[in-house]
Amino acid sequence: MKAIKGVLLTCDSAVKQLLIMMDERSSGSATFIIQDLDEHHLLIKADEHERVKRELEAELEKNSYTADL
Amino acid sequence: MPPKRPAEDAPVASSSKRARGGEDEDFAVESIQNSDDERAAEEEPVPTSILPRGATINITALTRKLAQTKKGPGAIPDPHADLTAYRRQQDALVSYIFRDQDFSFLNLKPDHASRPLWINPEDGHIILEGFSPIAEQAQDFLIAISEPVSRPAFMHEYKLTSYSLYAAVSVGLETNDIIEVLGRLSKVPVPESIVQFIRDCTISYGKVKLVLKHNKYFVESTYADTLQLLLKDNIIRSARVMEGALTASKAPVKGSVVIPGTAKDPEAKQSDADLFTAVVGVDNDEIEEDDETVHSFQIDDGKIDDVKKRCNELDYPMLEEYDFRNDTVNPNLDIDLKPATTIRPYQEKSLSKMFGNGRARSGIIVLPCGAGKTLVGITAACTIKKSCLVLCTSSVSVHQWKQQFMMWSNVTDKQIAVFTSDNKEKFSSESGIIVSTYSMIATTHNRSHETKKMMDFLTSREWGFILLDEVHVVPAAMFRRVVTTVKAHAKLGLTATLVREDDKISDLNYMIGPKLYEANWMDLAAKGHIANVQCAEVWCPMTPEFYREYLKEQSRKRNLLYCMNPGKFQACQFLIKYHEERGDKIIVFSDNVYALEQYARKLGKLYIHGGTPGVERLRILQHFQFHPNVNTIFLSKVGDTSIDLPEATCLIQISAHFGSRRQEAQRLGRILRAKRRNDEGFNAFFYSLVSKDTTEMYYSTKRQQFLIDQGYSFKVITELDGLQALPDLVYRTRDEQIELLQATLQANESAADFGTDVKGSEGDLAGSVTSKSFGGPSTAGYRAAKRATGSLTALSGGQHMSYVEQNRSANKQLARDSAQSRHKLFKKREKQQQQAKKERTAGSKQG
Repeated sequence: MKAIKGVLLTCDSAVKQLLIMMDERSSGSATFIIQDLDEHHLLIKADEHERVKRELEAELEKNSYTADL
Repeated sequence: MPPKRPAEDAPVASSSKRARGGEDEDFAVESIQNSDDERAAEEEPVPTSILPRGATINITALTRKLAQTKKGPGAIPDPHADLTAYRRQQDALVSYIFRDQDFSFLNLKPDHASRPLWINPEDGHIILEGFSPIAEQAQDFLIAISEPVSRPAFMHEYKLTSYSLYAAVSVGLETNDIIEVLGRLSKVPVPESIVQFIRDCTISYGKVKLVLKHNKYFVESTYADTLQLLLKDNIIRSARVMEGALTASKAPVKGSVVIPGTAKDPEAKQSDADLFTAVVGVDNDEIEEDDETVHSFQIDDGKIDDVKKRCNELDYPMLEEYDFRNDTVNPNLDIDLKPATTIRPYQEKSLSKMFGNGRARSGIIVLPCGAGKTLVGITAACTIKKSCLVLCTSSVSVHQWKQQFMMWSNVTDKQIAVFTSDNKEKFSSESGIIVSTYSMIATTHNRSHETKKMMDFLTSREWGFILLDEVHVVPAAMFRRVVTTVKAHAKLGLTATLVREDDKISDLNYMIGPKLYEANWMDLAAKGHIANVQCAEVWCPMTPEFYREYLKEQSRKRNLLYCMNPGKFQACQFLIKYHEERGDKIIVFSDNVYALEQYARKLGKLYIHGGTPGVERLRILQHFQFHPNVNTIFLSKVGDTSIDLPEATCLIQISAHFGSRRQEAQRLGRILRAKRRNDEGFNAFFYSLVSKDTTEMYYSTKRQQFLIDQGYSFKVITELDGLQALPDLVYRTRDEQIELLQATLQANESAADFGTDVKGSEGDLAGSVTSKSFGGPSTAGYRAAKRATGSLTALSGGQHMSYVEQNRSANKQLARDSAQSRHKLFKKREKQQQQAKKERTAGSKQG
């Protein structure tokens, strides 16, 4: 079996659920979770790390309100 | 989580600016460096002390201020050429940061430190340093000439608009005085653009008047050429009624008026005037008015709004003043405030704006909820002493208004009448007061005979005064109908929150008039007129299971999932317990009826929603008010408008109507009138429970904007200390949580809707009660059927299944308890019945 380089993510349980959702939505090679470790930890592919970070940021941004100036 | 990030940007900008200033010191002049540092030290406390007060503070003020801070070097009188060069270089270095907002060409005055204002030359925003020793006087002046945008503790933001300037002129301020005082208060010379703006706005004001004579509207002016100019406009010309040419008559003479309710009226008025002249520095004698002839033409009643709007666009805003004391056509209404009634200083101030020059001016007065808007309205009516029409949003408030009129003034039963769908009265004297709702007046179809007769009565006569309650909720179209069908000399709009989610606020400006007065909430709280409130937003973490379902769900059910979050349940329970122990009376608001019922049952509290029968409502409210053991009630949206709520000292909000700023302010108003507010160190509490990482966060922040602009700050509580240690914490185990999740998922789709319980009754204003259904009469008369699958034997108990009610409604218990305070005879009979029932159940249990 081929070895995959991974990154350990520590997150709160809500963000973990969000990541799992994102993973389920993306298909085939775009999935990034290697292993769901426990309530606060995920192992994800190292090369997807940056993209996931970006997408998560965008997802969370949806819930914050910025007053129009 | 990166919520509310914008607030952090401001200090970053400032620090980068300072760093930049430090780098380029090749030829820095010593004194500049020093003064720059001093400035930095001086300015420093301002932003830092503002930031903790709610990270979401409106940062326009800050950025603009920072933009102006960099004008630093300009402060020093600059005799040296190299200094100018230095300054230019400094400007070049920083100006790109501020781009459009680079106002470095405005140089500070040498003694700028003692002057409290900054003026933005582009949009007319004025920033006031609220900590300045003369801030209070400056505030009085700014309120008169501009509209408040945001008023936190230390920095206030105001905006110069044409309407606010019209209002200023109508109060008697003159163009040159305004400019002069602005110049005196400002740190920088008043920009030329602003001076021009003020001149443009004020020059034409007061030239054109809208007058109601013998039930017909006339446009009146002392300048015949102005009228000719207006008549050249198509819209105005088409609205003109050709009965005669321009008519000329004598202009009325003015005098002064005394507002009742103040023991020492003349002095009080004097001091008010003094204050103005103190600020203005010039004696503002009343505008000269000669006994000259006025010219006028009549316009069509139906097109009055278009004409008004058009006149505003043409920069000839129409002045609507009512010289009620010289009105001999309409009969007087002999009412007065009761001798014991005293009005508070700010109420008097607002009224003095309205009756500034001895006449009644149309406009809007903005006072916080619980600060006595009603009394202001009643006092105004008692001052004008003519027939008066009061319009409010729902039939409940109609009766409240009548009651208040009876309470504060000596109006008799004969003089005041109510016009709602159930109640169609007329006053029996020749003048009087009628209280009604907007929709009663505005609907044009399906009228009963009686209503029609009543409407004829309303439209046939001339009203001295029309009082418009909660003026911000009225849709523009409805308003137009009201204004065009009922003819009134003076209009007064009352509201607490001049915000609308659809931004139709500016329409009110020409339909009613300018904003005459807006109270500062923080000031009133500091003086003890309204309670001090601590606001907090509590972040409740979603449990993983709930969050997973939340993410999967795309429909309306999402709302339900974040309302029913066990974390929220726990936070709610914890807060209720904490505040009950402190002796607070608590109201819990939930727009979602399903959630409301679940919470109340689980926590064993009383609740009221739209479906609660009237008798039960009264019983619950009474218990809440007087029973020492009932300290918490749960309320749905009915609590917003349709119930006369008792006072409370703590408010918890578990679900709300999306991003409605008005609802938030209205709910806060429930605790502002707390009687204990004058106790030393008394605080009322306002909690908003928000499920983390959901759209609720977004709405919650949006809702808070209005209150933040009023100077309130929301603390964010990310974790409630001691929550886990609570002995009987609900939904502690995962199994219980999952059970709750399942129940929630099985709930009807409609359970996720907000405010479904409140059906607008006829005569209620759409949007004020339920903005989803817009108050339309309910079509669903039947309850939806419940469907479940199961074998017939199981359902009938054949498989040893028995039902137990898990979450009993505390309401039912209450009903049972109160039944015991009935008459002996009934009680005895009921007791016997219950005895028999008990025996039966006891027997079946044993057997």
